[in-house]
Amino acid sequence: MARTTFRFVDLRLIAIGLVFVLAWAGIGYRLFQVQGADAAKLEQLGFDQRVRHETIEAKRGTIYDRDGLELAVTVYGKALIADPSLVEAPEEAAALLAPIVDADYVEMIQRLEGDGRFTYVARRLESDTVEQATAAIESAELVGFSFIDEPLRIYPAGSLAAPVIGLTRLDDGSGIEGIEAVMETELGGRPGKRVVERDQAGRAIPQAEFLLEPSVAGSDVVLTLDREIQYTAETSLQRGIERSNATGGSVIVMDVASGEILAMVSLPGFDASDRSTLDPATLRNRAITDVYEPGSTLKIVTVAAALEEGVVRPDTPFETPPEIEIGDETYTDHGNNAAVMTVSDIVAKSSNVGTIKIQRQLGNEAHYRYLDAFGLGRPASIDFAGESTGRLDHLSEWNNAAAGPSAAIGYGVGATPLQMAAVYATVANNGEWVEPHVVSEIIGADGERTITEPRRHQVISAETARTLRTMLRRVVEDGTGFRADLAEFLVGGKTGTSNKFIVETGKYSETETIAWFIGIAPIDDPEIVVVVVLDAPNGATDGGRYDMKFGGTSAAPIFAEIAESALHQLGVSPTHDGDD
Amino acid sequence: MTAGALPRSTVRPVGTRAHARRSPVVRPLVIFTLAVILAFFAVIYSRISLDRTAFELQRLEKEITVEQERHWDLRVDYARLQAPDLITQRAAALGLVYPENRYTIEISGMADTVGGPEDRWMDLRALFVEQS
Repeated sequence: MARTTFRFVDLRLIAIGLVFVLAWAGIGYRLFQVQGADAAKLEQLGFDQRVRHETIEAKRGTIYDRDGLELAVTVYGKALIADPSLVEAPEEAAALLAPIVDADYVEMIQRLEGDGRFTYVARRLESDTVEQATAAIESAELVGFSFIDEPLRIYPAGSLAAPVIGLTRLDDGSGIEGIEAVMETELGGRPGKRVVERDQAGRAIPQAEFLLEPSVAGSDVVLTLDREIQYTAETSLQRGIERSNATGGSVIVMDVASGEILAMVSLPGFDASDRSTLDPATLRNRAITDVYEPGSTLKIVTVAAALEEGVVRPDTPFETPPEIEIGDETYTDHGNNAAVMTVSDIVAKSSNVGTIKIQRQLGNEAHYRYLDAFGLGRPASIDFAGESTGRLDHLSEWNNAAAGPSAAIGYGVGATPLQMAAVYATVANNGEWVEPHVVSEIIGADGERTITEPRRHQVISAETARTLRTMLRRVVEDGTGFRADLAEFLVGGKTGTSNKFIVETGKYSETETIAWFIGIAPIDDPEIVVVVVLDAPNGATDGGRYDMKFGGTSAAPIFAEIAESALHQLGVSPTHDGDD
Repeated sequence: MTAGALPRSTVRPVGTRAHARRSPVVRPLVIFTLAVILAFFAVIYSRISLDRTAFELQRLEKEITVEQERHWDLRVDYARLQAPDLITQRAAALGLVYPENRYTIEISGMADTVGGPEDRWMDLRALFVEQS
């Protein structure tokens, strides 16, 4: 009987066979795992690595001036980012890149030496800066730097009208001041959503992008501002502030018929394009946030009410002693006024005593009613963020005997320059109050236009308004506002000077004043109202003869410069040859 | 034995190419196979074409983005060049100054240059129409 013997070779074959069997079994098991048991889980894992849900940024709307020139526009900017773990020589890189991207050298080194794998080196870079930085990175063969897209808000006119336009946040681009904040809903648009498959390098895979919801671009906002008038107003006010050593000031130029704000200035201002110089104190728009006692400029309301109620006529005479005592208060007149003055004289010479006597004939109830009807004590417009309501105590709180008389000459009442612009525009617009506004229209992404329709109401008759304009002309012709006179146009207006109220002490300053001039131009056929307010002017003019703390000396010349230029800009024909 | 008509053989010769080509069963099979192969290549070709088109679309979209960026950059440059501050600086650099005296010339029919919102917006609306 043959005996079976295993040779060494056979054993090796068996071993190899076993290895193969085991290997194939392992592969089979793994195949079963991948394709069977864990298939769903692995499929989801791959899907998650490849597929991303992304937000599509909505393009922010543009802000235009009245002629369609961009005041604020969003462009496609870039941010320079770095992976600090890959940056080999932070000092060298910072020395090369900091001057190009206008960043701080030391801060950049700190960023590049930091932990983590991501840091912003510079943000909101414009295309030419990106090109320069790219060339520098490539030539120096710097590693670890790259660019990412991000929207960039640009203000092409620089600091022009900056407090009105406002500014946006750097991180999410939302508005935080001015029109940028008030119109955030309209300007911001609506972001969209998409699903996109990306490869290992982060590149989108073609045909693998699915739009879930398209983004809707923000609406464009058209302002009523006129760029040239705005510039004139800013430069004239700046010169006026320097002449009078004032701490600040504001100007409003308003179209009397439509209520459109042609210029609105608040100084000191800021340049939203240059964030390194931003001072929080300059962000506020003084023309709408700062409340001042309007002083003599408010006398026009007292006289308007008395004329409208038939209590006085322009030629009604009043005895005007140098001072008058009411309750605990003594009111005096500056300068030497005549012993008897007509209502027209009282306005021209800005007599406190005369105005108080008119108010006493008018009575508190009627006086308050007209102050309210002229829009004092509530925001004048809906276009401004943080607009102050001013201060007008309700009639029931006029308990003090001096409350009415003080209000008659502009004390105890707080008003913003915008509110006072609306008051004088009412006189210029034949007695109709028109809501001042700076947003002319909103143009949606679909082209739909929403045009602003300002609120309107009649306050005084056209006849009373005409009479008041005649009186305001006299203020400039032979009264306190003679420095506001123009050669080519007849203008009228009212000066105002009130002692500055110091919040810290709760008392009126002995030395600091608020100087006003509010004028109408041309007074015979009104087109614009110009409000000029100076905060704490001082010094002297004309060789020390005139104190700059008064509205007639410091604010009136600013009005003259702005009004003349604005009328020319608007194409208004001169009504006066300048010889008489 | 008389020679008669031979009965038709039920056995068909095989192995000859000519006969196979003529076979009514094989021909549809060949045609079907060819059609399948052609369809296969057509699908591959269409898929490649689609991919190429997708890449081309992606390239065009990128180009559109670049052109849009250029468009807005130019508009910003245009707006910057119109900034009154810049114009004043350039004018001063050229030696231009504000005149001491100003004269107004009125031309008949051109006095009222202040248009309404509709007139002011003719240019901008035309631009919006172009963009839409």
